[in-house]
Amino acid sequence: MSQSIELTINNQAVGPIEVGDGVMMIEFLHEYLNLTGTKFGCGAGVCHACTVIVDDNLGVSEVVRTCINGVERFNGKHIRTVEGHAKQNAQGEITALSPVQQAFLEHFSFQCGWCTSGFVNESTALLERLERKPIAKDQVEHVIEEALSEHVCRCTGYVKYYAAMKDLILKTEGLTLS
Amino acid sequence: MKPSYLSYLARFNKARHQLSQDLLLTLGLSLLAFSCSAANDAGEGAIERGAYLMKIGDCVACHTSVGGRELTGGLPFETPFGAVYSTNITPDKDTGIGQYSYDDFFDAMHHGVGINGNLYPAMPYTSYSLLTNEDTKAIYAYLMSTKPIKQANLDNDVSFPFNVRFGLKAWNLVAHDAEVFAPKQDKSESWNRGNYLVNALGHCAECHTPRDSLFAMEQDKHFQGAVIEGLEASDITPAELNRQNWTHDDLKSLFTEGYSRKGTVFGGMYPVVYHSFSHLTDTDMFAVSSYLLDTDEKIEAKALTFNGHQRELPGYKLYMGYCAGCHGQKGEGRPNVAPAMAGNATLGKASPHNIVAVMLKGIKSQHYNTTTSFYAMPAYADKLSDEQLRDLANYLRVTWSTQPGDLDMNTINDLKEVIFEHG
Ligand code: FES
Ligand code: FES
Repeated sequence: MSQSIELTINNQAVGPIEVGDGVMMIEFLHEYLNLTGTKFGCGAGVCHACTVIVDDNLGVSEVVRTCINGVERFNGKHIRTVEGHAKQNAQGEITALSPVQQAFLEHFSFQCGWCTSGFVNESTALLERLERKPIAKDQVEHVIEEALSEHVCRCTGYVKYYAAMKDLILKTEGLTLS
Repeated sequence: MKPSYLSYLARFNKARHQLSQDLLLTLGLSLLAFSCSAANDAGEGAIERGAYLMKIGDCVACHTSVGGRELTGGLPFETPFGAVYSTNITPDKDTGIGQYSYDDFFDAMHHGVGINGNLYPAMPYTSYSLLTNEDTKAIYAYLMSTKPIKQANLDNDVSFPFNVRFGLKAWNLVAHDAEVFAPKQDKSESWNRGNYLVNALGHCAECHTPRDSLFAMEQDKHFQGAVIEGLEASDITPAELNRQNWTHDDLKSLFTEGYSRKGTVFGGMYPVVYHSFSHLTDTDMFAVSSYLLDTDEKIEAKALTFNGHQRELPGYKLYMGYCAGCHGQKGEGRPNVAPAMAGNATLGKASPHNIVAVMLKGIKSQHYNTTTSFYAMPAYADKLSDEQLRDLANYLRVTWSTQPGDLDMNTINDLKEVIFEHG
């Protein structure tokens, strides 16, 4: 059994494509679209490595794990994956990383990189949330912990991810209340 | 900062390890020094027996606050009259039950009368009153052998007139019938033991029997199920359990491992299994299932219901998009992640209450031991519209149970009201 799926990924219209019933979103990204930046870790919804961002048309985003959610959940939606964050020129070459990516790089936040796509998406969504609703400075650590604490990393011990985000949030204007 | 749940697990294990060391130490010391007359009366091995009985009575779950020391109390209970807090039941003389003689303890367990006056019926003395004198003595002996810990009790937050404990005397007169446990001659020994374990120690009726306006259990509706803090404690009458084809083995795996062919436990039942029922001996476990199923005979496990997918129904795509990743495309579930839909007793119930409650509020992760755990089920309250909730609940029912897919928006709205009543 198959069905027709149509959605927008990183601002590009995708589909309609015939996809088998019950195909998980991560499989769709990898096997149908060759978008392999989203990593598959546990496959059971535990590690959050496979997290992507889903935007609705009201400007509200949610982060969703693609290993436990079928492609049906994403039909007609706007999705952002790790491939979509860096700035590119007309030739498709990368000209600048996103602030979150840059901060992770500068802090040596990751080693093998398996968990990184999930961290980048969750952190980007967090940053955007703070743009809409800034928080007090003394809340920053707490908010980072709340957003990232379910993301598993087997390499770096988390501290560098958390420190990168703290740094970025505190130095970006408009995210915290003075 | 909290570095993910892995380190949480490590800390949890460390705490558990520490706890068992403390317990060993306490037990070791007390075995040496213990010379209470009650222990002597209660006979050989009373402390060990008391420790077992206390587990099955699930005293720890209520008398321990989140992150607190075992048995020192402080866990809040929302009652219709206000919040009451469980108390310190370590043998500390000032803040615990160190001053209690055996007779005082008996009165508290059987009549709800402590040395400072009447206890609130959040303490299930209406069930514990069925305990034999011998078992009450063993529990007393065990409690008195634990380490005394000084921790003051919290003041209850109960509104008038229930804050006047004297009023509870009147409540006891109307609502509490102190009986003694009497075996039924026409039933097996196992059944009778099960009756005792389930009704006296297990105090299952406290949640699974509906209460009247006086907050007393409606005895003619014994075990027919009741809504507690937004979830429905299931109908566990033999008629319903047998209708749903529970077998002795199913109940055993549910009570000892938290999951079974018929699904998992959740909500308030998880700590009960974790702290209490998972410690049942095999003989006692069989007694419990003999009583609950009202038979000692083997029950054949029938094939699990899966009526096949109906792609044209609106719930089909919802199931595939939101649920199939964990619960399986055919509802087969995934070990250590999520229970199967096929055969699931929550879907098989006449009332859709828990289906909707679980979809709205999710289920917290559960860890039973190093090889058995379940990952959290996400809450979908702000992800699914009411129409989607209805379509999905109907789809689950028609696909994996014999219940009709007849839930409408009124049902969903009414359920939401009850489910969110307590936040
Ligand atoms: S791969 Fe999706 S949560 Fe681990
Ligand atoms: S960098 Fe290797 S898992 Fe996180």
